[in-house]
Amino acid sequence: MLWTIAKKEIVSNLLSYKFFIVLLLIVVLIFTSFFIMHRDFKNRLSDYQVIRPKPGEPIALLAPNPLSIFAKGLDEALTRSFEIGVIGITVRAGQKSGNIIFSFFPTPDFLYIVRVVLSLVALLFGFDQVSREKEMGTLRLMLANTVSRAKVLLGKWLGNFFSLAVPFVAVTLLGVVFLSLDRDINFSSAHLLKLGFILVLTLVYIAFFLSLGLLISTRTKKAASSIVILLFIWALLVFIIPNLGTLLARQLVDVPSVRALSEKRQQVWTREVLLSIGERGNEQRGNWAKHVKTISDDNDRLGEDFSNKFNRLVNLSKNINRISPAASFVYAVTDIAGTGISEESNFKRDVVRYKDSVIQKMMSPVGSDSKANEYPAFTYNYRTLSQVFAQGALFDLAWLVFFNILFFALSYFAFVKYDVR
Amino acid sequence: MLKTIIKKEIQNNIFSFRFLTSFALLLIIVTVTIFILTNDYLKKIDEYSQRQTEIENYMKSYAHFNRIGNILQATQPPIPFYSLVRGLSSDVNIEEFDDDPLPVIFPLIDLVFIVTILMSLVALILSYDSVCGEKEDGTLKLMLSNGFSRSKAILGKISGGVLTLLIPFVFSLVVGLLIIALQPRVAWNGADWGALGLIVAGAVFYFGLFYCLGTFISSRHHSSSSSIMTSLFVWVLLVLIIPNLSPYLASFISPTPSRISIDRQTARLTDTERDDLGRKLMKEKLEELVKKYPVLAENLAEAEIKDRVTRDPAYREAYEARTREVQAAWDEANRIQGEKASAIWREMGRKEAAQTELSSYLSMLSPLSDFTYLATDLSSTGVRNEAHFGRIREMWGRAFGDYQRQKIETLQKQDPAVDWWNTAVDMSDRPRYNYQEEGLGGRVKATLPAFAVLVIFNLILFSAAYFSFIKYDVR
Repeated sequence: MLWTIAKKEIVSNLLSYKFFIVLLLIVVLIFTSFFIMHRDFKNRLSDYQVIRPKPGEPIALLAPNPLSIFAKGLDEALTRSFEIGVIGITVRAGQKSGNIIFSFFPTPDFLYIVRVVLSLVALLFGFDQVSREKEMGTLRLMLANTVSRAKVLLGKWLGNFFSLAVPFVAVTLLGVVFLSLDRDINFSSAHLLKLGFILVLTLVYIAFFLSLGLLISTRTKKAASSIVILLFIWALLVFIIPNLGTLLARQLVDVPSVRALSEKRQQVWTREVLLSIGERGNEQRGNWAKHVKTISDDNDRLGEDFSNKFNRLVNLSKNINRISPAASFVYAVTDIAGTGISEESNFKRDVVRYKDSVIQKMMSPVGSDSKANEYPAFTYNYRTLSQVFAQGALFDLAWLVFFNILFFALSYFAFVKYDVR
Repeated sequence: MLKTIIKKEIQNNIFSFRFLTSFALLLIIVTVTIFILTNDYLKKIDEYSQRQTEIENYMKSYAHFNRIGNILQATQPPIPFYSLVRGLSSDVNIEEFDDDPLPVIFPLIDLVFIVTILMSLVALILSYDSVCGEKEDGTLKLMLSNGFSRSKAILGKISGGVLTLLIPFVFSLVVGLLIIALQPRVAWNGADWGALGLIVAGAVFYFGLFYCLGTFISSRHHSSSSSIMTSLFVWVLLVLIIPNLSPYLASFISPTPSRISIDRQTARLTDTERDDLGRKLMKEKLEELVKKYPVLAENLAEAEIKDRVTRDPAYREAYEARTREVQAAWDEANRIQGEKASAIWREMGRKEAAQTELSSYLSMLSPLSDFTYLATDLSSTGVRNEAHFGRIREMWGRAFGDYQRQKIETLQKQDPAVDWWNTAVDMSDRPRYNYQEEGLGGRVKATLPAFAVLVIFNLILFSAAYFSFIKYDVR
């Protein structure tokens, strides 16, 4: 009986105007997004080939991450070139485009399409499930049979979920196949596994919005009021809570701005360089080493002090934003893709460690001989899936699943008490 | 009669569930947003003045002309409009080691966001069934069986709808502005209020356009459930997709070379190739010179040269000529290669400007971008302010350069033996960097195209709604 209802839902969806529009939207958006982000990735890859450090150069540089095609996140910040010198780390961010319009609107990657558009689409599949059938009178007929209400609801849920998930997954996989035809991208099996998890998360995410739609549909008598409520909840969850939450967190945690920190760093090294110039004529070499050490120590102290506070801000803003499943979804997907906030701070920690080792080598007495310019290459290993899950992504996934179950259960209770007349 | 329809339309909307929900939602979101943004702005001012103090403290003890550019940098101070509109002001700081990832993951929310996303959604929610809904209810037949024209009916519907939209928008904005007005530390001047007035006018055009769009779609459909689908589909394209795609599309049509490869190319021009050219020029010039001063042909060791320069005046003359020529050769090489490099950068800048222009034209197809440009330019947080700020920075940079030259000259006259470049100098009389917002007139002029596009959109959609309604089958 369950499958009969699910099948009926699928068939009636397939023939509907809604389904036609949604399919069109999914196909156009996913392919356009893949095409654009692929091109963006290729451009960044060829930039990377140009500035790739030669052996022995003290430069920390990451290649663009192929998964940034799906979730760009902070990949632009991660693939900057960090050049190590005695006075610290100099960043070259030549990748930035001169076209300012880019900074006005968010990147249209897969993550954006799913987070914003697909969630809306899932709501459209759920919003009139119960109220429409009531308006049409078919709900009464259906329940006049001996089928239980739980089965009806579950059947509806499954039918709608599959009629959305199947075309979506098919289009996405097709897109991924096209992408993997490009030899430059070179998805490793680890990448594909991560991509699989991203897809699973996506399905859980749209399932949540479907359940939400179903819930509101069982709480309202008219499809028209159901859609109004849902659109507002959608705007709240997808845009307002995550965007406002970060600002709110900034009010609660006292963190200096990054600009202030950068200015302080400039002051530190400029001061030390000038002091050392003033001392010239004395025993120069030893003094310089002392100043270099001061610069390095002061910078590390500043950095550590800042990152302690900043981590508190990040955690607080994450926790506030997690009220919205959309934020949980973004955190989990960017973390898995290796373009998230935790990945970046992890990476920067490694860069600082590398800087310390390079400076130590620069200042060591042996450094004065001919091998002075040979430094070990910088290597960075992205966090593995198990690390990513342990450090937050699992929580986000569980949180999304919890939301799903909660909203489905709520809609079940509402539906059981629903007046079908 | 028109008045009756407008009144009916407004009353109908005001007591509807969707209107009340929108009103409540807008009121809460606008107030909370303005409250948080205002507090954030106050925090920003405090931090800015603290940063200035740090710089002053530094300047008291370590003000050397050498590397002063690292310390004294022109930065954009927070402006009072930040309690409403943020535009491009978010500080990602990607050029430095310490970048801020938070605005990249979730951009912050401001009045522009509220208008572009929420108000357009509200406009569609109120209008998607304005025609087909009445048809479903059967009231459209009744209304049109009276003796008045359809054009009056549609005009009344749309103007009534836009007036209804104004109520929650203006009311919640006024409540939000009270927060700003009651906060004594946020000092808005006349230009700010003027700019806000124009932004509100732009917002009315913006959501008026969406109301017309909703009515148009509604009069193309016969059931409200398919009308909402089409409306949302169009909304997603106009608001969420076209603006985001436009810069990428523009970069496809009008590509620019990557800054990195240009950087490498010009670095080569001014480095290794400059050296090659310099050596070549030097060789040529020295060969010429040897004809004039045959003494220079002798190959002497460093110490011997020094010795001869002091002893032999003829040799000294030749040697000084040689130094001059060598310097001239390198200056020439630097000039030639520098010109080549700057020509490449100029070309690059031209291409980037062309691409930016194309992206903004493409994105103007979406009313969201039109309103965004309009609001950010009027509030000095947009593209125009970036250029304005750049000019101020450049002017200050030149003024400081002049000051530096003059100061060093005077100091050197006082005591030529000191290396003033590397000595602490009292620079309290330096020209201060002072950011002033651009005058309102210039800002308004810049936003005229965006206004024009919004008005044109309104006209087109209104006439589309009008013609569809004229031919609408009300049975």
